[in-house]
Amino acid sequence: MKKFKHFNAYSIEEAVSLLGNYGDRACIIAGGTDLLGEMKDAILPTYPEAVINIKTIPDINYIKQSEGMLKIGALTTLSEIADSEVIMSNYPTLAQAARRVASPQIRNMGTIGGNICQDIRCWYYRNRNNRFSCLRKKGGRCYAIKGDNRYHSIFGGSVSGGCMAVHPSDTAPALIALGAKVHTSSRIINAQDFFEVKPIKTTVLDKDEIVTEIQLPEPPSGTTSIFLKFAERKSIDFPIVNCAASITTKDGKVEDARICLNAVNVVPYRAIHAEEVIIGSSLNEELAEEAGQAAVAQAKPLEHNKYKVAIARTLVKRTILAFTEIV
Amino acid sequence: MTKESKKHICPYCGEMFDNTDGLKSHVFKIHKGRGLPIPEGWIRLTINKSEYDLKVEPNWTLYYLIHDVLGLTGSKQFCDEGGCGSCTMIVDGKPVLSCMTLAIECNGKTIETVEGIAADGHPLIESYINHHAMQCGYCTPGFIVTSKALLEKISEPTDEEIIEALAGNICRCGTYPQHLIAIKEAAAKLRVKKAAGKEGK
Repeated sequence: MKKFKHFNAYSIEEAVSLLGNYGDRACIIAGGTDLLGEMKDAILPTYPEAVINIKTIPDINYIKQSEGMLKIGALTTLSEIADSEVIMSNYPTLAQAARRVASPQIRNMGTIGGNICQDIRCWYYRNRNNRFSCLRKKGGRCYAIKGDNRYHSIFGGSVSGGCMAVHPSDTAPALIALGAKVHTSSRIINAQDFFEVKPIKTTVLDKDEIVTEIQLPEPPSGTTSIFLKFAERKSIDFPIVNCAASITTKDGKVEDARICLNAVNVVPYRAIHAEEVIIGSSLNEELAEEAGQAAVAQAKPLEHNKYKVAIARTLVKRTILAFTEIV
Repeated sequence: MTKESKKHICPYCGEMFDNTDGLKSHVFKIHKGRGLPIPEGWIRLTINKSEYDLKVEPNWTLYYLIHDVLGLTGSKQFCDEGGCGSCTMIVDGKPVLSCMTLAIECNGKTIETVEGIAADGHPLIESYINHHAMQCGYCTPGFIVTSKALLEKISEPTDEEIIEALAGNICRCGTYPQHLIAIKEAAAKLRVKKAAGKEGK
């Protein structure tokens, strides 16, 4: 790694003030498992001048119930979330998603805040020494459109129609399915509106803004949630497609449903059409199949990733069928 | 330096001010409650039960510090991007990847490496040798460190628990079945040792 300045922040205000001073030239480090990889490979056109450590901020690592919701501090590690009894029983999709992230060692380091703020994994973007100056780096074009796009978006691109890189997070779709809110140093954002595609940016966060807390509303009675992930390996792998769903049933019929896919679009993809199919009906295999079809009805796959459409369809179907086994 | 260009630099974050009043109000507002500023790069670590006071550079990883600077060469670096588990060390009781940890952020932490586990005479070492749970041996320190952390958490792990705990360690020689046998044997020896220790008291 090249040289950089390192600061320990001891309060959220201190971190925000440091970020304000350095602007684009500083990076926040929490678990570091994403950032250090980027810095070792020098994938970005500019190298961070300063790294601001927020692990030294006390009291933002917690899972607690208050004001009718569950509050998770941004520095809570993924293994703490995966092993938390309250999350396993009330918000199982989040515990299951956290348990499927990377490897046990990385889950001991990586935080929930970092998992939703992580950068994309496109192999052109991530190529060493900024070899492909792509759209996402304010460059000229997206190399994936004509290149090898087997892991890219099946729902079109963004940044003026270009960048096809998918959002790789496992916990993001779970948070969207649970209707979570992201508390930052200056505002509260719905998890669904948190993600954005801009050059060298995956979230709507301002330059001097950091995530401080995730808030999960109390699930209505009769709600269960599930997370399924399809990846090439069982561990240390990013999803080909993952699917999180939260379904509320009453008298055997679906009252409310939120289904969210990730790694299929430039931001987490809420499968609204699949939700519409199942709301008001009782779940069965035919309906699950129909919902799967509806989820990918608008897919526009690229040359090498048509297989992802079939996986997304099947994953939505399997997720819905999994509910019929629980309920 | 001319008088006009003299700047007052905040010792905590390096921000510059034209006069002392600006610096004072900045420190009281932003860095309230901080102790005396620690000289940049100094950390205190406990590695395998010995304490160290070290001056580190911000861009050193924990692996570089322990393997290259301190010369504890038991841990191995293979992928250098968090994908193989060879460089696993136990930091404050949890197995983490030392290649993806900055040394400067480990101030006050307790670190255990494979050398410490071997020096303690942990039964894992012997059972790994007995069952030959290695071929080239490059990944073995990572496996032993991860399994040691597992045995501290679970004294009688099942096959599934071992497989889940070792999911972050990769062995290119494919010695995985031997790890299950070796870890279970070591767990049994540890339980016997623990029971004997209790009776002795």
